[in-house]
This record gives sequence, C-alpha cells and structure tokens, in this order.
Amino acid sequence: MKFAGFVLKNLFRSKRRTILTVLSIAVSLFIFSALVSLPTLANHVLADSASSVRIACRTKMGQAYPLPEAYKPKIASTPHVVAVTPDNFFGGIYHEVSDQFPNIAVDPENVDVMWPDWGFSVGGVEEFKKLRTACLVAEGTMKRFHLNVGQQIQLRGAGYYPVNVSLTIVGTIARGPAPSFLVFRRDYLEEIQGRPGRVDNFWVRADNSKAVPQIIETLNSRFANSSAETQCDSEAVFLGSVIGRFRTFFTLARILGLIVVITIGLVAANAAAMSIRERRNEIAVMRSIGFRSPLILRLLIAESVVTALAGCILGCGAAFALLKVFSVTSDVLGPFVGAIQIPPAVLLETLLAAILIGLLSSYVPARSAVRRKIVDTLRMVD
Amino acid sequence: MVRKDAVHLDHVTRTYRRDDFEVRALDDVTLHISEHSFVAIMGPSGSGKTTMLNLITGIDHPTSGSVSVGDEEITGKNENDLADWRARHIGLVFQFYNLIPVLTAFENVELPLLLTDLGKAERKTHVEAALEAVGLVERMKHYPRQLSGGQEQRVAIARAIAADPTIVVADEPTGDLDARSAEDILTLLAELNQRFKKTIVMVTHDSRAERFVDTIFRMDKGIFVRAENSLVGGRQ
Repeated sequence: MKFAGFVLKNLFRSKRRTILTVLSIAVSLFIFSALVSLPTLANHVLADSASSVRIACRTKMGQAYPLPEAYKPKIASTPHVVAVTPDNFFGGIYHEVSDQFPNIAVDPENVDVMWPDWGFSVGGVEEFKKLRTACLVAEGTMKRFHLNVGQQIQLRGAGYYPVNVSLTIVGTIARGPAPSFLVFRRDYLEEIQGRPGRVDNFWVRADNSKAVPQIIETLNSRFANSSAETQCDSEAVFLGSVIGRFRTFFTLARILGLIVVITIGLVAANAAAMSIRERRNEIAVMRSIGFRSPLILRLLIAESVVTALAGCILGCGAAFALLKVFSVTSDVLGPFVGAIQIPPAVLLETLLAAILIGLLSSYVPARSAVRRKIVDTLRMVD
Repeated sequence: MVRKDAVHLDHVTRTYRRDDFEVRALDDVTLHISEHSFVAIMGPSGSGKTTMLNLITGIDHPTSGSVSVGDEEITGKNENDLADWRARHIGLVFQFYNLIPVLTAFENVELPLLLTDLGKAERKTHVEAALEAVGLVERMKHYPRQLSGGQEQRVAIARAIAADPTIVVADEPTGDLDARSAEDILTLLAELNQRFKKTIVMVTHDSRAERFVDTIFRMDKGIFVRAENSLVGGRQ
C-alpha cells in the first residue's frame, strides 16, 4: 500500500494521456459488455421457460399458415392437458408505425391458468373475461404511452388482419414475455373478421412437466396426415427456435466485441509503451537507488491495470445505464431489448478483459525498461 | 588510528565492446578509500572515473578483479541482491539530479525509505532530518520544477543520505550548476562528511572540489595515476 500514492502520482503525470487512455478503454469495454450481453436475452427467456409446463403448437408448414380453431376441443381432451389457449398474432399499430408493439389475441377463459406467472393486476383477469373488448397491457407499454386502466385505445390492423380493434384497458401485466406487449380477446377479433376460425398457435398447459413430452407426442400423432399437421414443442424449444434466428447475430456481436477490445488493447499498449519509454531514465534511477526490477515492473503494471480498471468502471457503468434506458424505451428498439441486462458473468468477463488489457499492454515495454542496463540508460560511461 | 576501507578495488579491469573495438575503460586498477573520507576522482573525459563509480555502486560489473564496499565483496552478487545492497549501503547523487518530477521534494527523499521496513511516521522523521541537513525543510512540498538547480541537487543529496547509507557516491554533482551553487553543494557535501562521518566518493571535473576533499584520485586513460592529499587550501 505504501506505493499506492506513487502509482497514482505517476498516473497523473500526463493527465491528458491518462484520461484519453481511460476513455478509449471505457468505450471499448462499453461496446464489449453491451454486445456480449445481447445473448443474455436468449438465455434469460430460455431460462424462464426451462421448467415450463407450457407447450406451443403451430403448423408444420410454418408460422405463416394457420391451424383450425376446431383443434381446440381435441387438444383439451388429451390426457394431462389442463388448459388450451389459442392465439393470433394481430400485429396492430398504435398511432404511428413506430409505436408498434406485440399485440396478441387470446381466448380469455384460461388466460390466468395458462400464464399464472405473468403478474396480472388485481381484478384484471376477471374484467378481461367479462368484457369482449377488454385488453391487458404490459406495464412497460402503459408507462411509455401514459396509458391508464379504463382507457380506450384503437389498434389498426395490417397484413393478415386488415381490421381495426377498439379496446378497453382492464388490467396490466407485470412480468410478461416482453416488457412491452398487449393481449386482447380472440373472440372479438374473430367476430369483426367474420369468424374465419383461424389460429396461429395453440398454447397448451400440462398438469406436470414430466407429461410434456407425452402430450407433444400425442398431439403430433393425432394431427398427423391431416390438412394442418402440428409441430408441438415445449415452450423452451419453441422460444429457442424463435431466438435461434438471432444466434448468428449474437455470435457476430461477441466477435465484434472481442475485436474492439483487442484493438483498444493495442492502443493502450502504445500509450503504456510511450509512457514507459519517457521514464526509462527514472526507472534506471530507481533501480540505482535500490528498487528491484520486479518491484518496478509491478508498479508499472499496476499503473496500467488501474487505468484499465477505471476504463472498465466507466464502460460498464455506461453500458448498464444505456441498457436501463433501453428497458424504459424498449418499444423504440423492439420488445425484447428491455430484457437485455449486463449479467454478473459479463461483468466478470469485462473485468477480466480490463485486467488483461492492463497487464498485456504494459508488460512488454515495462519488462524491456527494467531489463535495460542501468549504465546504458543513464549514459554513465566516461 | 587506522581507518578501515570503505571501498576496495582489487586489480579491476573493465572493458566494453564498441562495434568491432574493445574499449578498456579501467585497466587493472587497485584502489583503497578509507571510511569517513571525502575523496574526489578526477581526470579528463574518458579516463574511466565514472566507470569506477559505476563499479563501486554495483550498477556495472568488472570484467576482472573484485570490488568490495565496507566488508562486502559485491562482485559476485546478482542484480536483485545488488539492488537490496544499494538500498542499504549506497546513496547516489547524479549530475542532473534525477529527481522524479511528479513527486514533491519530500516524496523524492522518501523514495529510498519505501524500501525499508520503516513506518510512515518514522519515514517522515528521516525525510525531515535529511531535508534539514541540506537546508530545504521549508521546500519539502515543492515539486522539482519549482526548485532551482542548486535546490534540486540538495534534494538529491537529501535523498542520497535519507536511508543512512554506508557511502555517498556523487557523479559530477556540480556539473550542471553555476559557480555559486556548485560551491554551496561542495560545502554541503563536506559538511555531511564531517558532521555525519559519511564516506563520500565524488567524480568531478570541478577543480574547486580540490579545496573540499581529503584525497584526490587522478585517473587517465583507464589507469589510476596517483592519489593526492588535498593540497590547495585544505578543508574549508
């Protein structure tokens, strides 16, 4: 500890250089931590669904093709099934196109049985079951658009659903699958479309998680060779298949983060080399008055590590703050962005990256400086 | 009373390679410096006097022969042992002061004490005593850039004596100073030698030094020419 003051004084020898180095490391670690945190979205969603007793059934032909509504009683009669909830992804627009958020039509009777983990507001589900035009809105959406329970809103349909729906907010959702979304009643959507009887997915709830594979097997067999064969999967697999489309992007993000860190590591190495080169004479003087080379090496590396750690704190702090902002304004960037957080593992990775930048950037020039002959450095030959 | 040797060079030779040439900086030099003495090593440029100083302080190694300081032969020591040994036994004063610019006078003087087991309060006592000895207590919070050349050299001397070394070694301590400051530094070194019985070995071109030292070792072309007792005016 008695050398701490010495290390700090040397750090501020060239304030501008130190500040610029800290900032460059901060920017790189900010990018690194933010990019590396992206896959946590997938992990977060999948972890939440890992022990789920929910099953998602869609057509084998893909999301663009519907399933017949008539499957509902057949699915409900399957052993170990406690609830079936069909859904349609309405995809309506609230005000402007930029105000879009996921909005899904579901059958109301079992919504609380199917998703008891969503954190519905008190009385919301009861109202949802009573009122045909009711909707339940995620708290993120309520906050963003300054909505209130009891307020009426209109969603403009597009694509497969060229109809508008007028909805009354009857309750909120605290912990839904995304920070921003809305559910309304499918019977209302069916009615204003002229009852086409189409369903995008059937959500099925099993009485226990061990029964999930059996139900999947039974349902897929039951609808095999029909005009709408089903592809039933556990919730984890279903969400994984959706998120899997982003895997390449996540991998690229990690690689990009790593490239940025390596690049800035080289910049930091250059700054450390310059700083040490300027102080070769002082290093020789310290050695001549009794400082061992390994001690000087440690002091030089400590300076560099402190610089990198300062950058790490700044960078991680900025990334943390930015992701917080994202979670507040997640609708602008997509419904899932708000789920991205910097997990402890990424913080640890970023910390390690900072320490490595500090160590590696200074080790070579510092080692070279402390190994030079004192006489050569001081030019003490006469 | 016979005084012990503070420094003993025994048939020391130091050669360097410069491109294809071998430079013989010191050629079979044998030398004794008594403890508590104040000696000057003088000679023209390239005579080997700084090389001799480097060998005495262990920052260079002889090609052949042995160097002893106090009771210890330092010739066979490795770099880390030599660093530890220097911390205990050698106080170095350089021509260009070589203070650390980001440290105050106090912190510069404290630097060698950080290598000891002394606590903060004890270090403070030592530093203040050293700065008192060189007459710069009131400047202890000043940075080197805020001091004159003479004052910087005084701080460097305080740093050299702070850890109470066996010998103080000075390489051209007046080489970068004006006449008055040079005189002050020589006076200070002589005082340290007399008051604190420090053995001081000084390399210098400065003929004024002859008035302050006990013995002058003359060197030329890597050879120890002769030792002289100070003749010009004696000790001041």
